[in-house]
Amino acid sequence: MNLSIENISAGYGGIPVISHIDLTVAPGRICALMGRNGSGKTTLLRCINGLLPLLEGRVRVLGRDIRDLGRDKIARMISVVPQVSFSPFSFSCLDMVLMAGAARIKAWSAPSEKEKQKALAAMAETGIGHMAKRAFNNLSGGERQLVMLARGLFQDTPIMLLDEPNSHLDFANQHKIMALMQSLARKRKMTVLVTLHDPNLTHYYCDDVILIHEGGVRARGETGKTLTDEVLSCVLGNNIECDVTRKGVFVVVPKFNLVHMNEKVNL
Amino acid sequence: MKKTPVIFGLFFPVILFICLCTGRYPITPGQVAGLLLAPLGVENRFFSAPPDMMMIFWNVRVPRIILSVFVGAGVSTAGAVFQALFRNPLAAPDILGVTQGSGFGAALVILFLSPLALVIQTSAFAFGILAVALAYILASLSRDSSPSVLVISGIVISAIFQAGLSFIMYMANPYDQLIQIIFWTMGSFNTASWAKVRAAAPLLFSGILLITAFSWRLNLMTQGEEDARSMGIHVARWRIFYVVVSTLMVACSVTAVGNVAWIGLIVPHIARYLAGSEHRRLIPMTAVLGGLFLMVMDTVARSLMLSEIPISIVTSIFGAPFLGYLVVSAGKARFSHEPQY
Repeated sequence: MNLSIENISAGYGGIPVISHIDLTVAPGRICALMGRNGSGKTTLLRCINGLLPLLEGRVRVLGRDIRDLGRDKIARMISVVPQVSFSPFSFSCLDMVLMAGAARIKAWSAPSEKEKQKALAAMAETGIGHMAKRAFNNLSGGERQLVMLARGLFQDTPIMLLDEPNSHLDFANQHKIMALMQSLARKRKMTVLVTLHDPNLTHYYCDDVILIHEGGVRARGETGKTLTDEVLSCVLGNNIECDVTRKGVFVVVPKFNLVHMNEKVNL
Repeated sequence: MKKTPVIFGLFFPVILFICLCTGRYPITPGQVAGLLLAPLGVENRFFSAPPDMMMIFWNVRVPRIILSVFVGAGVSTAGAVFQALFRNPLAAPDILGVTQGSGFGAALVILFLSPLALVIQTSAFAFGILAVALAYILASLSRDSSPSVLVISGIVISAIFQAGLSFIMYMANPYDQLIQIIFWTMGSFNTASWAKVRAAAPLLFSGILLITAFSWRLNLMTQGEEDARSMGIHVARWRIFYVVVSTLMVACSVTAVGNVAWIGLIVPHIARYLAGSEHRRLIPMTAVLGGLFLMVMDTVARSLMLSEIPISIVTSIFGAPFLGYLVVSAGKARFSHEPQY
């Protein structure tokens, strides 16, 4: 296993937000991390990346305890695609992507021409090869997210963590990014762990799913078998349910409320 | 971008020469050329300099210009570093209190000990470093390790030292001590000498070299703390490195010439227009531009009026409107210009 989490608890100021979580994530698969706001998804990601000290338990990356590893070692095993934001200074997209090569080069050097070619290749892979010289802050939210994804790919790690990569994206772009992640995970044999809010995206694109509820794992396993009415209403809220479209596609929709719908029609 | 260093390569010597020719003691360009060539063993049949001209040129004007170039370059570089570290284009190199600390240290000695230059300088340097150290210790007591806590600590420490400085100025004898303190707080290259160049230039030069060598990592420091850490940077350690080097440079400058306002804030902005935000290109541009800018400002300060004008007044009067002009003329492009390659 690329990534194994053994009975970890962690939180802020000594108060655990997540407790006794056990997980393993296999290579070449996308695993979705779902749960409501404040359930501890982001906290879990921070623990895996070694940013938050654990109260108990252990995180192993490629068989090694994350606590024994320096930041540069961790950065060569785990890349993080953060939620998009602005940069305080105007960098070009290529400069933004190149930053992820920091762990590979000497502290007093800058990225070589070879690194630049590699960064451009990563940008081409996410479909933004033509944006290399454009100013990052001038791009739309979706384009900036693609730059962040290219940066994660350029970091070239066996494990990639994505924190709500869809939060600022339009409908089409959400699917574009997830489809891209799916093919990249297969092609590069990466372990991908992604926090998602939309159960439909999880179902279409992710191989496995972990549902976090109140700081613990409520359910996990292969997506098709795990996303059931019972689990969904427990973890994400009791106002949604599973359905199948006329074409036979599995969807999660708001519970159909006849009274409410009629009111709307009458208006 | 490729043209810019070439333009500066030509620009710098020309402006340097103009500054060498300017001053209250009249020395013509021909005489300056003669003075510069004489030590190289070039015989000059047309001109032999009178001794007082030799003295003023070599012992007053040349060290003063060298010092202004180094101080300008050092303080501007420190400004660019602090803006990156605090992810804030409005951060100045004295945001952690080094200027106020140095001013207090100098004033303290002027009031109670002796007007000896060496003692004043030692105290200014020590108190400048002390102020930043205190700001750092104060910030480290907080559980929040973000740079904004450090900024607030800096404000607290600055305020305390500023109050101390004001109190000493209130107490000081207005006929000699106060004037000395005020000249210190407004800065002046009036006292530039080869001794000061020897004391300040090596430290400033090695500081600029160090920052230039480690400039690429500053790009990562401008990103969020967690982003930088997940890309493999030990942010806390590197922040200390950059703060220490920059603070030493600023303390060294303040010790030599007193407070020079605005340079550290404005020059990195001008450099960003010319070279873009990428620090590998920005830092050298900032250093060259800072040296050039302060050299010209000091030439104005020493030759515009009959008596010397404190340098901070000149840098503010010329620097602030220039920044305003840049903001207005560049409009939207200020925050979104296309980086050039």
